[in-house]
Amino acid sequence: MKGLAAQLASTLRLHFRNRMALIYGYLFPTIFLIAFWVLYRYDQVPLVRHVGELLTVTVLGGACFGLPTTMVSERERGVWRRYRLTPISIGAIVASTVAARYVLVVLAGLLQLALAMAVGMPMPQHPLELAIAFTFVAFAFLGMGLVIAMLADNVPAVQALGQCIFLPMLIIGGVAVPLASLPDWAQHVSAFFPGRYAVQALQSTVTTAGIGTARFSLLALTLIGLAGCAAGAVMFRWDAGERFSRRRGRSGVLVALAAWAAVGVLAETRGSIGAPASGRATAQGGSEQPPSAAASGETAPAVTPAPVTDGTLSPTRSGRALTIHATAAEQEAARGRSASGAGRETSPASAPPPSAPAPASAPEPAPASPPPGNTPAGPALPASWQAVTPADIDREIVFTRLPPDEGVVTPIATSDEQPETDVADEVELLKSLLPTWPPAKVADPVQRVRNYLYVMAVPDIFQMQTERFIPPVVFDRLEQEFPKNDLIKILFWIALTPYEGDDKAVDQMQPFGIQNGPPDANELRNRSAIYAVKLLGRLTGKRPGK
Amino acid sequence: MIDRTMPSALLVRDLQKRYGTVLAAQGVSFDIRAGEVFGLLGPNGAGKTTTIECVLGLREPDAGEITVGGVDARRQPAVVKEKIGASLQATALQDKITPREALTLFGSFYARGVPAAELIDRFALGDKADAPFDSLSGGQRQRLALALAFVNRPEIVVLDEPTAGLDPSSRHELHGEITRMRRDGYTVLLTTHDLDEAEVLCDRIAIIDHGRIVATGAPHELVAGSRNAQTVSAIAAGPLAASDFADLAGAEELTVDGSMVRCRTTAVTRTVTDLMARLDARGVGLVELHVQKATLEQVFLELTRDAGVQA
Repeated sequence: MKGLAAQLASTLRLHFRNRMALIYGYLFPTIFLIAFWVLYRYDQVPLVRHVGELLTVTVLGGACFGLPTTMVSERERGVWRRYRLTPISIGAIVASTVAARYVLVVLAGLLQLALAMAVGMPMPQHPLELAIAFTFVAFAFLGMGLVIAMLADNVPAVQALGQCIFLPMLIIGGVAVPLASLPDWAQHVSAFFPGRYAVQALQSTVTTAGIGTARFSLLALTLIGLAGCAAGAVMFRWDAGERFSRRRGRSGVLVALAAWAAVGVLAETRGSIGAPASGRATAQGGSEQPPSAAASGETAPAVTPAPVTDGTLSPTRSGRALTIHATAAEQEAARGRSASGAGRETSPASAPPPSAPAPASAPEPAPASPPPGNTPAGPALPASWQAVTPADIDREIVFTRLPPDEGVVTPIATSDEQPETDVADEVELLKSLLPTWPPAKVADPVQRVRNYLYVMAVPDIFQMQTERFIPPVVFDRLEQEFPKNDLIKILFWIALTPYEGDDKAVDQMQPFGIQNGPPDANELRNRSAIYAVKLLGRLTGKRPGK
Repeated sequence: MIDRTMPSALLVRDLQKRYGTVLAAQGVSFDIRAGEVFGLLGPNGAGKTTTIECVLGLREPDAGEITVGGVDARRQPAVVKEKIGASLQATALQDKITPREALTLFGSFYARGVPAAELIDRFALGDKADAPFDSLSGGQRQRLALALAFVNRPEIVVLDEPTAGLDPSSRHELHGEITRMRRDGYTVLLTTHDLDEAEVLCDRIAIIDHGRIVATGAPHELVAGSRNAQTVSAIAAGPLAASDFADLAGAEELTVDGSMVRCRTTAVTRTVTDLMARLDARGVGLVELHVQKATLEQVFLELTRDAGVQA
């Protein structure tokens, strides 16, 4: 016991002298935290819905790399051989190494929580249960780390094996990419990785009813942890040269794999493979984009539109061939051209083909389209919004090309879709603030409608939790405020002239938890115009909402 | 100095260990008395390390008996580990651990740990006591490894190739250290393939080859008991002819070079008597006469070569 405590203390002390270990152990979790914060800073309460993911990544890193790297490098150098001459038992060495690693991941987790709270995250709802869930998660992953340490002969092998577990778990295991964003097959695959159970168990203690709702996850983590420890014990080797007998080694790996498989099968038979109850994903259906995509700040790459030749707003482009990034110069040139186009532009409201649901196909302004004067067959368009006629709308808009309401671009919740409580609270707050919001009071009705449209477009661009629930609120507000006929005309007018007016309103969205507008103004105008056309469709009955 | 009536500090009897088809130890037996410095000599792959590792509990023998201070090492490994202090080849520790920390840590693993300060002092590690392991020189690391072997006040010290890879001055220092262990009454088992070292340091040696002990005894006994020839060389006052020494009694490999004659013989007295008689008969004066015993190296080569042939 005395030896175990001394060994534990020594391991911890040496860890804090190892610069690389500190970088792995503390800098990386901090970078992850910042990355998550950047991704989700527009949430009303940043990060709180992602604590599970964040802490899981930390434990995963410590377990898949930290623990086995320490163990394998000491074994490789013959340090363990020296220990072996002493009366201290294998169990004590492994236990103290694992215990030290547990302390280290707890410290990293606390660091992350502290930083997250410093940037606005509220205190987790069940801190004690969070500690318990964290321990289960650490147990499961440290068990896996032991298996890696026993399988790997040297440190490079740890890296290779660790990545084999780390990356899939991050990407299709429900850790870094929310489960609901994953295709169905990946959700089933994720049931066989401990990551999703870890996220679920941790998250349940932060935002929802508590650990009691994550019993299956705790069971899964326990099984995986036990299997890892058993396999680690079976495969234990004092030095790298000591080849564990093949049968024993194989049986160790089989134990670990069998536990993983058992957990997956169990989850499948329980039918708990859909997105987890506590996950943000439930509310968003399958529409959420991977954070990694959003992390680049590139919410929707620009698309160069094809010229519109038939005088209608329907796009003539098709498929992916046209999803080309416009260079800044092209955009600039295009903008110049459109500015000279007598204030008349082809609306972006004509949607990308439904077959390309990714934001990559989000419509771009149609700057390259020639001014109407250049289209010989095109009839004259109205001179002002008041002059818009139903015939103009019929002629100019092809409602069938709009992006789907359940998609990624300009989503709109159906009337029977219920947001999670915290999302509902945010939407409710927005609804109550909207009547007093200064940009909703400007005199020019067209500008006022534009401002309302931005209220939908900005959360859409930032892929905020609330994005799909805000449009119904804004639509109601618009219908209350404007006579139906005027609203139809104004929306059409905005669809025709998406780049006119100003977008100062996006910098006044702090009451809604949005500190600054999106970096790409074109994107903002496009999304606003699409929402305009979607509402137009509803008002005219040409594209009713669901 | 060595009390032959004392019980064995270490007894190894009929030790067997097989790796796949290779018999690394096939009936190794030896017995070390308390206070004795015992050397295990043998070429690479002879079974030295396997034997040592079995004694230290690093490997499980297939058969045989190992008793340390009267305790069965195979049945009570934990008790035996309290009695043995060991320094293995290339002892490594964590890069950032200091000698003081390492000695304290390892001391805590034993029931009776020696205070780190005492060992730092004894093994002259004071200057580097708080320096990280990765900043120590080869000699300092070796001293630390030795110090670690003493953290439990061992009854028997096992040193595996203690001088391998050391520079001459560190090696000299280490020899002094082992001599001191003997003076202090420690029982020491060391392996080496340096015969001079064994001859200087060890009270007794065992030569191991192909997993068997081929000879055991004090170095001078082994040499004396050797079948190996001694060398006789004489320098005369005048030039000599090879024909004068044809059929010299007992002589082998005879060479005559100017005024010098040299041969090997297993019958020194007969050879020297005959040589003197022939010089006297030719009226040539004797300037120098040397008789050289066989070296331990020759004994070693003879024994291991023979064993190799037998095997």
